[in-house]
Amino acid sequence: MEIIHAVHVFVKSLLFLLLWSNCEGRESEHNHVTCGSLVKLLNTRHNVRLHSHDVKYGSGSGQQSVTGVENADDANSYWQIRGKPNRPCQRGAAIKCGQAIRITHMKTGRNLHTHHFSSPLSNNQEVSAFGENGEGDDLDVWTVQCEGIHWERDEDVRFKHVGTDVFLSITGEQYGHPIRSQREVHGMSTPNQHNWWRSMEGVFLQPSQVPLRHDEL
Amino acid sequence: MATKGMTLCNVCCLLLYVIAAVLAGRDFYQILGVSKSASIRDIKKAYRKLALQLHPDRNPDDPKAQDKFADLGAAYEVLSDEEKRKQYDTYGEDGLKEGHHGSHNDIFSSFFGDFGFMFGGNRQQQDRNIPRGNDITLDLEVTLEEVYSGNFVEVVRVKPVAKEAPGKRKCNCRQEMRTTQLGPGRFQMTQEMVCDECPNVKLVNEERTLEVEIEQGVRDEMEYPFIGEGEPHIDGEPGDLRFRIKVLKHPLFERRGDDLYTNVTISLVEALIGFEMDITHLDGHKVHIVRDKITKPGARMWKKGEGLPNFDNINIRGSLIITFDVEFPQTQLDEQQKEGIQSLLKQSSVQKIYNGLQGY
Repeated sequence: MEIIHAVHVFVKSLLFLLLWSNCEGRESEHNHVTCGSLVKLLNTRHNVRLHSHDVKYGSGSGQQSVTGVENADDANSYWQIRGKPNRPCQRGAAIKCGQAIRITHMKTGRNLHTHHFSSPLSNNQEVSAFGENGEGDDLDVWTVQCEGIHWERDEDVRFKHVGTDVFLSITGEQYGHPIRSQREVHGMSTPNQHNWWRSMEGVFLQPSQVPLRHDEL
Repeated sequence: MATKGMTLCNVCCLLLYVIAAVLAGRDFYQILGVSKSASIRDIKKAYRKLALQLHPDRNPDDPKAQDKFADLGAAYEVLSDEEKRKQYDTYGEDGLKEGHHGSHNDIFSSFFGDFGFMFGGNRQQQDRNIPRGNDITLDLEVTLEEVYSGNFVEVVRVKPVAKEAPGKRKCNCRQEMRTTQLGPGRFQMTQEMVCDECPNVKLVNEERTLEVEIEQGVRDEMEYPFIGEGEPHIDGEPGDLRFRIKVLKHPLFERRGDDLYTNVTISLVEALIGFEMDITHLDGHKVHIVRDKITKPGARMWKKGEGLPNFDNINIRGSLIITFDVEFPQTQLDEQQKEGIQSLLKQSSVQKIYNGLQGY
């Protein structure tokens, strides 16, 4: 009886160990969006990617316009995920849900930005690209809203603006010439089906080891 | 008889040893030029350096170039994987279970990018008529510690890849002028969109891992290109992915070329009577400073060889320049202390008036 009991305990602990070891290693950074990464953001309701270019709004603030495009192969749809002004995030660290970030347009170095101006087509809040070389002002900061701990790559998230509390959204209005068929991107105050975004193509930095330190003997 | 037996024994042993050495397989550590205790970073660094040297395109006259290059790939594949390295260390090359997985091309392109390697040649000089996808440039922030010791950044690239799809599609679309005849002697020229017919493709997102090296001594704005890892073009070649180095400011050290500058504040007492201290360098080693003379405010100390490694030759290092400033006592002195200092220092009153600005 004693032997049977011992074997029973042994098998139980072995199974537990196997189960536990299988759960480890799942938290690899390979599926997270990390600080310093370049991403394309897809609006899942309207199937267009967040985009900007050297074209200014003809109304509102007159700043650089931000739109949604159907193409999947335009480098002008790449945005870099960076930390808040004066608080850089560590390269390769996974972005946490609720973390405040800046979203910088790769080609023009301007930050995703919104302010109290009306958007040209739908009269929601205008979203522009603002700043120079990655530096703008406090209205460049957004928080990532998602479930769980970290922003996962194949997860739908929302972007809420710190400062005006609107959500980055698209409701389908289309521009004419010279940016024909591109969609208007604006800020809306309510979370709904129009403000879900997912990271698609990109260059995702993984966390590095700290360079070796050795003390002289 | 004994000696004959001995010689036979020796010959047998030698033969056995030679056979064993041949059968035991390749020495991967020797191929990479690293020690048995090399870190994964050392291995990656060694591979990257040798891959550039040994690539067959770079050695067209060497008949063994292909083999040497293949050996290099095999060595990296085993030593860069923890499991395989352990097996290799214990059992040798024969002890490795399965055959090689990825081709050497996969390994090579994770360090340099895809699409046929160009040695020194300009990609633009190829066929100018082949349309090319956009280039992507990522600003990669690096710390001064990484500039000093080097590092590798692993990157996951998710990009659309063209896959076969059923049916046909329009490709190579272009505007052409067409002349149509409206009547006798009357023609009209119109612009028309003309396309070819190509096999249909769809773009599917695929992932691959790239290794970016932060080389020792790397300078701000230097770029590391990965050929073909940029945006795809459905009718042509993909563009390139470039990592542009941005060296971050450091709280303790300022970089000027290969030299490092730092400041130390010492007390008035230390400035007068001397002191001893350690400065912890970027890789943790300590720079020892001893001073037994008077140190004036603004005095500089040069420590040769304690700067950054030079990018072109990492055996050459710059200097560490330390500038001292003096912190005077915070509390005012009482009469007794004033008299004491007067008598101790025996410095007569100076009170020399002069123009210190001289137009600046």
